Amino acid sequence: MDPKQLTIDQVQEILLKEKYVCDRSLATVVYLSLVMGKPLLLEGEAGVGKTEIAKVLSKVLGARLIRLQCYEGLDASTSLYEWNYPKQMLHIKLEEIERGDKKKVETEIFTQDYLVKRPLLEAIQSEDATPPVLLIDEIDRADMEFEAFLLEVLSDFQITIPELGTVAAKQRPYVFLTSNRTREIHDALKRRCLYHWIEYPTFDKEYEIITTKFPEVETKMAQQICAFMQKVREMNFYKRPGVAETLDWASALIALNRKQLDDKSVIETMGCVFKYREDLSHLREQVENRQFSLDALLRTSPELVS
Amino acid sequence: MDITPETVAEAVNKVASVRGKGTLPNMMAFGRALKHLGVKVSLSQLLDASRSADLVDIAARGDFRTLLRANLISQKEDFPVFDMLFDCFWREQSYERVPMETMDIQGTPTESNAPEGGDEEGGVEEAASEAIANENLPLENLDEFAVPTYSAQELMNRKDFSEMGTEESRAIARAILLIATKIATQISRRKKIGRKGPVIDPRATMRRSMKYGGEVIEMAHRKRRIKKTKVVLLCDVSGSMDCYSRFLILFMYGLQNELWGVETFVFSTSLSRITHLIRTKNIVDALDKISGTILGWSGGTNIGRSLHTFNRNFAPSMVTHRTVVVIISDGWDRGDVSLLEKEMQDIKRRAKKIIWLNPLLASENYEPLCKGMQAALPYLDMFLSVHNVNSLVALGRTLEKMVA
Repeated sequence: MDPKQLTIDQVQEILLKEKYVCDRSLATVVYLSLVMGKPLLLEGEAGVGKTEIAKVLSKVLGARLIRLQCYEGLDASTSLYEWNYPKQMLHIKLEEIERGDKKKVETEIFTQDYLVKRPLLEAIQSEDATPPVLLIDEIDRADMEFEAFLLEVLSDFQITIPELGTVAAKQRPYVFLTSNRTREIHDALKRRCLYHWIEYPTFDKEYEIITTKFPEVETKMAQQICAFMQKVREMNFYKRPGVAETLDWASALIALNRKQLDDKSVIETMGCVFKYREDLSHLREQVENRQFSLDALLRTSPELVS
Repeated sequence: MDITPETVAEAVNKVASVRGKGTLPNMMAFGRALKHLGVKVSLSQLLDASRSADLVDIAARGDFRTLLRANLISQKEDFPVFDMLFDCFWREQSYERVPMETMDIQGTPTESNAPEGGDEEGGVEEAASEAIANENLPLENLDEFAVPTYSAQELMNRKDFSEMGTEESRAIARAILLIATKIATQISRRKKIGRKGPVIDPRATMRRSMKYGGEVIEMAHRKRRIKKTKVVLLCDVSGSMDCYSRFLILFMYGLQNELWGVETFVFSTSLSRITHLIRTKNIVDALDKISGTILGWSGGTNIGRSLHTFNRNFAPSMVTHRTVVVIISDGWDRGDVSLLEKEMQDIKRRAKKIIWLNPLLASENYEPLCKGMQAALPYLDMFLSVHNVNSLVALGRTLEKMVA
């Protein structure tokens, strides 16, 4: 499938086929990024499906997914390329024994054969039929200095290796960057990207996500789960639960054969939604003090009533 | 600056003269209006936006909005401004007319561009260079835009920072610079080469083996340097802090501009992030921007609520186990003390250290009796005074110890 021939509707459709529910605006930016060949920077709270979209997209495009997980201290030798020092050294030693030509050895050990490709170089040099999807995950975890390496790669799709010269991309990879916003990304990098912020899903979208992922779920329970999640995201918790948590919870409830929510099953399975002791006890407190009542929520939630 | 329908309309009016037929002039005008409203937009982004305009059906307003937003905006905070401007700008000359013109150029590029004798690409570049030429003229005139809005609950006051004594501010600036550079130069996040360490550094090993005629005898290792601590400043600018606020603004400004990873907030009855406002090398500009923007300067205090906003919207991403949170306040609080306590507890859990700077601490008979201060005390790692330059130097030493 040639991504450049797609339309926005088709993007939405093929993603849905792989069970990724995305709204019109997300589909539009993904489409734009594919067609313009411009990297897409996705930001949003944890667990809203930033990484997932790149994974799903590589699947539907039939492209290879090259993932670069960022971490502090990530540098050029682990992200771009590194010379294979042991191999170079062995080569030198062998030539020494054979009394080889010094000039020749010097040029020989700095060729592609002695280069260890890291994700970015790999993505640029890919010769697959479809350009690969390059996912640079959690860019905010990497150092500021690392962003500088990315500038050349993302604007010109080339990497300069001093010993070899400039390696330009044969075909542009589709680039996705994600960030959790633990720090601001530098403007220079942002300028080179399209930008999209993924919100927590609305009731309807979340409902669609649950029913797409778990077709066997009871309609009523899916609705109740969504109403519950919408409510707790408004409340004051240390870590607000994302879609990933919703899905975990839904699958837990299905595994337990629950047909609808009640106080008991909520308390039992809350570990799927809240991952901090304080949040769990906060919820329990709220339930006990009747500040948070599942009954009332299910009765008054506008989506459930209609 | 507060964005209201009026300021948006004004921005649209300002650029009305440069609007014309076709996508590009309109796009340039749109970008300029965004700049008027304080959103950073680069020329390359504008060019990309206008080049890609034919990729979506422009009649589908929602898609067109997404297209512009994805291209021009690069932080979530600017979305509301963008949306208001988008609605105002593309409505202005009746929505139907604009896309028609736009389609002209997009749909039949040969026809519409032929008379100009250039291909579309050339047309774009030409108009762009024109835009660059005009760039610096009216855009920087942001001052006229600081239109204050009136809010019933919060006292809005514009502080005139220009009254600050030059001698006084210089002394402070010097002290801050000293403190900040000390911290900044001591540590680095890069790996360094050493004799011990978890990772072997092949490059350095080869280099060292040279002196033994190419035999590898000494292994070079890499180890991590000490990590840099991030600082979040939360500064009280309510009425009771009035006589210190100038001084504190300078402090925040200085620290943020010297150090990487400083986030700055001010609060009174509500909290605002000013990191982006004081990210400039020109202090006068920064002061102007702040005095024009902050709601509730010299108003009442509600520390609990402000911290709550901070914890909810910013702390999850900004405060980590390596962040030192510095709160500057006298602790006079008119809000709910139990909320304040809970929020302090929250910060405590996330942050590496909490330092509370209290200007009143300097007076000899001061005791932290007010309720707010008492509630916060158990959660503090450090309770220091900040009232003159010397106290700043002391603070600098403390921070230095913390990051070393």
